Amino acid sequence: MPRNSDTSSLEKLLENPRVWRARSQPGPADGLSSGYAQLDRLLPGGGWPRQALTEILIEQYGIGELQLLMPALASLCAEAPGTEPVEPGWIAWVAPPFQPYPPALQNCGIDLARMLIVRPKHDSEVLWSAEQALSSGTCAAVLLWPQVLDDQASRRLQLAAEKGASWAIAFRPLSARHEPSAAALRLELSANHRGTRLAILKSRGGSPAVLHDVV
Amino acid sequence: MARARRSPVIARDSAPTPDAAPHHRQYALPLAKTERLWFCVYLPNLPLEACGPGDCDLAVIEERQGVHRVLLAGDRARAAGVLPGQSPNAALALLPTLRLEERNPIREQQVLELLATWLEQFSSFVSIAGLDVLLLEIAGSLRLFGGLKSLRRRIADGLEAQGFEASLAIAPTPLAATWLARGRRRACIRDSANVMAALRGLPLSCLEWPPTVLESLAGMGITDVGDCLRLPREGFARRFGVKRLLELDRALGHLPDPRNSWRAPERFCADFEMTEEQGDRDLLLAICQQLLQSHEQFLLARQLGTQRLLFTFFHLKAKATSLPLGGARTDRAADHWYELLRLRFEKLVLPEPVIAIRLRGGTPRALHTTSGRLAFHDRPPREHYYSMSQLAERLAARIGNESVHGVNAVADHRPQYAWRARDLFAARAAEVLTQVCQGTDRPLWLLPEPELLSTDNGHPLHQGRLRFVSGPERLETGWWDEHGIVRDYYTAVSPRGAGLWVFRNRGRQHGGEAAWYLHGIFG
Repeated sequence: MPRNSDTSSLEKLLENPRVWRARSQPGPADGLSSGYAQLDRLLPGGGWPRQALTEILIEQYGIGELQLLMPALASLCAEAPGTEPVEPGWIAWVAPPFQPYPPALQNCGIDLARMLIVRPKHDSEVLWSAEQALSSGTCAAVLLWPQVLDDQASRRLQLAAEKGASWAIAFRPLSARHEPSAAALRLELSANHRGTRLAILKSRGGSPAVLHDVV
Repeated sequence: MARARRSPVIARDSAPTPDAAPHHRQYALPLAKTERLWFCVYLPNLPLEACGPGDCDLAVIEERQGVHRVLLAGDRARAAGVLPGQSPNAALALLPTLRLEERNPIREQQVLELLATWLEQFSSFVSIAGLDVLLLEIAGSLRLFGGLKSLRRRIADGLEAQGFEASLAIAPTPLAATWLARGRRRACIRDSANVMAALRGLPLSCLEWPPTVLESLAGMGITDVGDCLRLPREGFARRFGVKRLLELDRALGHLPDPRNSWRAPERFCADFEMTEEQGDRDLLLAICQQLLQSHEQFLLARQLGTQRLLFTFFHLKAKATSLPLGGARTDRAADHWYELLRLRFEKLVLPEPVIAIRLRGGTPRALHTTSGRLAFHDRPPREHYYSMSQLAERLAARIGNESVHGVNAVADHRPQYAWRARDLFAARAAEVLTQVCQGTDRPLWLLPEPELLSTDNGHPLHQGRLRFVSGPERLETGWWDEHGIVRDYYTAVSPRGAGLWVFRNRGRQHGGEAAWYLHGIFG
């Protein structure tokens, strides 16, 4: 009798809409394949979360942080349907730290005609530009390199990504690891002389994991 | 017949009997098409109205033979007894608050041109016929505007709404219309047979003939057009000049009277002048919006759009502030331009309050608009989405044109010349993109300038000793200009695992010691 009442009260509690269970979250079925089978297996939906914010925490540039995205970006360029009046499939780069090099992008299969480089002069404009690009419905993906990205800003980016059906990728330093974020996916990419290490810190509908030498 | 020739009276009027006119028209249907009808707008108070609307305490003075005299007075001034011809001092004595303005013919001409532009909506043929007279040929517009009465009311209402006092007259010849308007006759004559009767009672002062001519005519007891027409033609021509005779003939339609059509300038340019300096930014924005709306009207009438706009804010003392706006696509919609303006205006620093605003349109371009969808297409409108060009415009409006661009590859083996920025705002938006097959391994990041690396016994260092993965790839090219290179490129890995693209300069500028540079990063 007491046992029975216990389970029923637990069920009642779980029915409460305020209780959120990670496992029960219907994971996004249509993830965007990353092009790395090893990574796809670990991501919910079998790939990058579309229409959401992905954060990649990196220790330094030059450890394959772009290479990680290239197969997915190339597939976005290729699949873009040309419907009027909006022309989707653009890839916006907001405040990149160096010059994205077109010959290498072409080698990766990126369509240069759909590249938009935005170099705002102030950090507040980085977030504004990214938000504009995300919510425009034109950009399939928006890569941004903000100086700071607080919880509220990440939430805004997440909402803008949902509104414009766009994929936001924010590159941040490793020090941001302990800051709260609304991103659907947080990755940490690091490297040493032996190889690279990719850690999934947070994944909506998935679980943390560590991968070695993906890129 | 012989008698008629001996005394060739200008009046050839009533000789063809009244019934001849309808008879003539009955068989001359094609002729009716070429018949013209002239609408005259005479603005007697233009010097006053050009000084600004709604100022009753105003009088315009003009210098004549070295003496200033009142030319026209506003309503309140007139009520106080200020009359044309008075000296400024007398006028000021009658009304101490009177504001005296020197007559400004340039401004009057501008106002007249603005009105002509406005009138172009009613007729394809608008002509500026003098300092205060506008003529429209309206025979072709009657059907579109629902007849003469409705057209006349539209023009009259429009003029009144803009604050102009106008005298309107309609006649088959331009001169007759002008004279009737000057005579303040609310004449509306459609049939050329009636012109003579209408003109007959008109005082000669409406004809703008020189005072000496009028004086000598008055001395002969001739005061109206009817008297004039009764004079013998030869004698009239000899005494007062053939020109006057020709004018009478033109007015009656016996001689052709070709006019020049006024063409509005292709580029929009309008000023808004304020009576006092204004610093309220919201108000300034509202004025800009007004200007943008008239700009839209201007372009709409021509089915054109533009890609550039220039706002200029004038200050009393400081240099004018200009605010150029540019769009990625041709547009004329005031709302669209206003949106861009607002983004830019937020950041605009005005050194002083503003006294006038000028909007100058860019080169007009053909604008192809797409038809709107019918309402019963039930697909929800994606209003919050906008196109790439709109996005680029919005971004550029806030952070600057140079900060928003695309990229293109260039067929050059020198890495720093193998790409260039692509202007997204260029007229040819669909620029041909070059597909260049470069060497196999190129970094995704390129440094804007190669970075000199420190070395340890000739071995490059970056976070420690670099380990070479591949290379060298020798690039020796560009000898045809001063930016030639002789470099060995290597792919290297730093001790902390970063992929780097480094090169060794093989030139001799470093005195034998080959320098190492970092040029790219394998992101």
